[in-house]
Amino acid sequence: MRPREIPPNPPFLKGGTGARNPAPPPLRKEGAGGRIWTASAVRVFFSCALLLFAPALPAEDLEDQISTFFVGRLAFGDNHGNDCGDVGYDLVQLVSRASTIQVREEKDLVLSDDGLFETPFLFMNGHNDFQLSDAELENLRKYFLRGGFIFASGCCENPQFPEAWRRELSRVFAGEKVRDIPYEHLIYRSFYKLERIHSSNGDRDVYLEGLFMDGDLVAVLGEDGLCCGFAMEGSCNVGGGVRPEDAKKIALNVAVYSLTH
Amino acid sequence: MPSGVLGELTFDLPQALFWGLPLALASLAPLAWRRRRLPAGRLGVLLALRFLAFATLALLLARPVAVAREDPRARRSVTLLVDRSKSMALREQGASRYERARELAEGRLIPALEREGWEVDALLFADAAFPAGAAERREAIVDGPATDLGGALVHALRGAAAPPLAVVAVTDGAANVAEHNRAALLGLVDAGIPFIGIGVGDDEGVASLSLEGLGGPTSVPPDQIFKLTARLQAVGAGEVPAFDLVLLRDGEVAQARRVAAHQGSRVWTETFELVETAPGLYEYTVELQAPPSHDLVTVSTRASAPVNVSAETTFRVLFAQGALTWNFKFIGRALRGDPGVSLTGLSRTSEQSMFRQNVESAGELLDGFPGELTELAPYRVLILSDLGPADLTPRQQETVARFVGELGGGLLMIGGVATFNASWQGSRLEGLLPVTFDDDPGVLGLDRPFQLRLTERALGHPAFQLAESGNREAWEGLPTFTHYGRVREAKPGATVWARHAQDAGPAGRRILMASQHYGAGVSAVIAVQNLWRWRLAKDLDPAHFDRFWKQLLRFLGQAGGQEISVQFLDPERGPGREIRALVERRPRPEAERDGTATSAVTVQVEDPSRRVVLEQELELAPLRPAEIRFRADEEGVYAVKVHDAEGVQLASRPLEIRSVDREMERTGRDLENLRQWASLTQGIAMPIEACRDLEQLTAQIRGRAEALRSSRERRVPVGVNGWVLGWLLACLGGEWALRKRWNLP
Repeated sequence: MRPREIPPNPPFLKGGTGARNPAPPPLRKEGAGGRIWTASAVRVFFSCALLLFAPALPAEDLEDQISTFFVGRLAFGDNHGNDCGDVGYDLVQLVSRASTIQVREEKDLVLSDDGLFETPFLFMNGHNDFQLSDAELENLRKYFLRGGFIFASGCCENPQFPEAWRRELSRVFAGEKVRDIPYEHLIYRSFYKLERIHSSNGDRDVYLEGLFMDGDLVAVLGEDGLCCGFAMEGSCNVGGGVRPEDAKKIALNVAVYSLTH
Repeated sequence: MPSGVLGELTFDLPQALFWGLPLALASLAPLAWRRRRLPAGRLGVLLALRFLAFATLALLLARPVAVAREDPRARRSVTLLVDRSKSMALREQGASRYERARELAEGRLIPALEREGWEVDALLFADAAFPAGAAERREAIVDGPATDLGGALVHALRGAAAPPLAVVAVTDGAANVAEHNRAALLGLVDAGIPFIGIGVGDDEGVASLSLEGLGGPTSVPPDQIFKLTARLQAVGAGEVPAFDLVLLRDGEVAQARRVAAHQGSRVWTETFELVETAPGLYEYTVELQAPPSHDLVTVSTRASAPVNVSAETTFRVLFAQGALTWNFKFIGRALRGDPGVSLTGLSRTSEQSMFRQNVESAGELLDGFPGELTELAPYRVLILSDLGPADLTPRQQETVARFVGELGGGLLMIGGVATFNASWQGSRLEGLLPVTFDDDPGVLGLDRPFQLRLTERALGHPAFQLAESGNREAWEGLPTFTHYGRVREAKPGATVWARHAQDAGPAGRRILMASQHYGAGVSAVIAVQNLWRWRLAKDLDPAHFDRFWKQLLRFLGQAGGQEISVQFLDPERGPGREIRALVERRPRPEAERDGTATSAVTVQVEDPSRRVVLEQELELAPLRPAEIRFRADEEGVYAVKVHDAEGVQLASRPLEIRSVDREMERTGRDLENLRQWASLTQGIAMPIEACRDLEQLTAQIRGRAEALRSSRERRVPVGVNGWVLGWLLACLGGEWALRKRWNLP
């Protein structure tokens, strides 16, 4: 995995105090849209250090009324939405520390409620099998059509939740099934550049899975205890799953992707 | 009688006395004959009373008048006005006009006046006047932007302790400010002060030549002929020698042209025909290169115009944001189904990184936000969000201003308090937006959910049509929003599209959406933090949100191609002038088909204080422009707005009225102007070359002043009054009483 490149003098808006970069770093044009990433090893090291060692922000700092990013922690089927404790909060923290995105704490939502339509980013996770009601499926369909996005993760490598998620989400749109997201997809480059993701025991490549709507990625599933990786340092993933450092990068990539696509 | 005034008695008809007194004596003879038997004493008394009565009547017939005259010793000063306006710096015959004027004043005129025993109060004047001693006159900078002779006279008269004997003005006479002339003339006439004008300079003056501007299309396709037009003006009776016009393209000579010599004043255009094959932004500059000459003043010699050569088939929008926002995502979703629009993103994702999305080349936006116009030229609309003044340098803001004003681009600033705050006040960006920023950011977190209230004008505007029917209901059904940015008020010429349903600011309900024409383009604001909630709302059709954004962005990006155009005809737009503008409807094929090609519009002109100074209805047919005229008395930005019959604004053009350099327009000596002043005040006007004998001039000044004082004597009739009539009655009554007493018939 090569981290994204960052110019040595990369202010967002040139012409400020810094001189222009006389020799821009190598660029790489990605995909049909021409998305290009720039990064530098120094900067990624700095970002990783922030992710791993920065102290947690006090909770009141997150009560920013003008925040951009907030997570709706989803209760669905017979899942009460509280699996894996503070994982939604941890996701918000992750976004806050590694980017300038203004964030806000998670809020609890029920998939069948209208509150869904005030939160453009939802997080759902669990351990067990579940089944969505017709009302929940209808709500999801409308939610996706309007631009909503869902990030899901199975807990503790329990296969029941991912299997149920694939099955149930495949019922949302006729003819659209949940499928693997290839490494060429922009979601692997939306913040950190992830060439490949290896399982923690190194025996296979890990892919994100997603549901697409007219070519737009609207829901993403991270199997292999992704949330355990980014929220609990992989402590509940036994002998497999995604490495914590990769899990954190994936989570941030998903958040940024949802804000830009 | 006040001090300094002398009085005397005189008669308007002294002949009455000359003839009346002998007649009075003669009339006594019959009376004496008839009363000859009376004792001599009584006869003498009666004759005396009769004579006095007749003599009094003769006196009244002579019309006695008391005359009051000013004491010639009361006026001991002469005011000297020396012109230091820019035209006095022109050099003729080896010296500037000012040098010649000062040489006359210091070397001969002031000594001659002082030899007469008069004090000389000298002032320098141009657009304003101030007292100036010899040192000030010697070191004066001759650069006054205008010549206000009337103002200088008023200043001199008001500042003098006693009225001067005369006012002597040494000037080229080319006065170009007239507002104080009336007061000055009344002051001179009332005080009996002759104006002595000494004209300096050549009667023809030197010709002035200026390049007023360069006009052309803002955007053209490759391989298509287009024209750039240089507007030129020559003023003056002298000959304008042949000169060169050089057209530069990005600093390199593209074309050159020799303009033939000509005589006299003239306003004309020179047109360059061009073709560009390669797309890109080209900066065209015309340079006026006139031969160095003392007989020609070049006032303005450069003018530029950018032309964007583009074969674009898609409409590109650049969304630059200081932090990732949901608005960016949802606007992108709205445009996704429109193959004609392409959204490029430039987002700051962390303190030191940016995210470029949908760029078309490896180098595009690589260095961040564009600092050069060429980098912004590929886009039609620029959206800014969550940026502060520290994020955009003055140069970048100037580039944005040129993008809108010169290239006809659209600018939209969208967001809440992170976007609209007082830190932008006074910035270049605020200068081009339709609103001013407010000091009051509100109390964070206390905003109540609010609804967007569209104005009636917006409901009728094509950009705000959400549905074929029920457009108003569609807007009223929008969800509530939670945060908004506070702006102070709309600028003159701006159109307010939406306001807050409840909250009020200094100028009524808070503005949430507004736009205005800025130069060739349009700038707009949407001060709503989370407009994206509209698209995500469960019970609303997301197609409405999508349609709104497609229409709004096209409206912003196609301002240069608006249906109605307003062109100002007069290159000189100073205060107090009449402004002429052409209002023209551009041909539209669809309008020809649906029969709406010709229709009535209302043109409104608002002055800088937003007062309507003109409202006129016009019937506009394609390519048949109609002319409007209005008088622009104030400096500032006027707005010309065109509305259709339903009140929907079709076009708006701001017009900046500012004082122009009139000083060098006409540089010839205006002796006729000095003669008029002299004629009205019984003074003298003469060219400086006639001032050879200063003794004679001072004698003339003395003579004129004396004559003026004589003509100003105050005459009061003193004959017919109660005392005289009483005296007359007493004489006649006394005679009658004595006759009765002495039993005389």
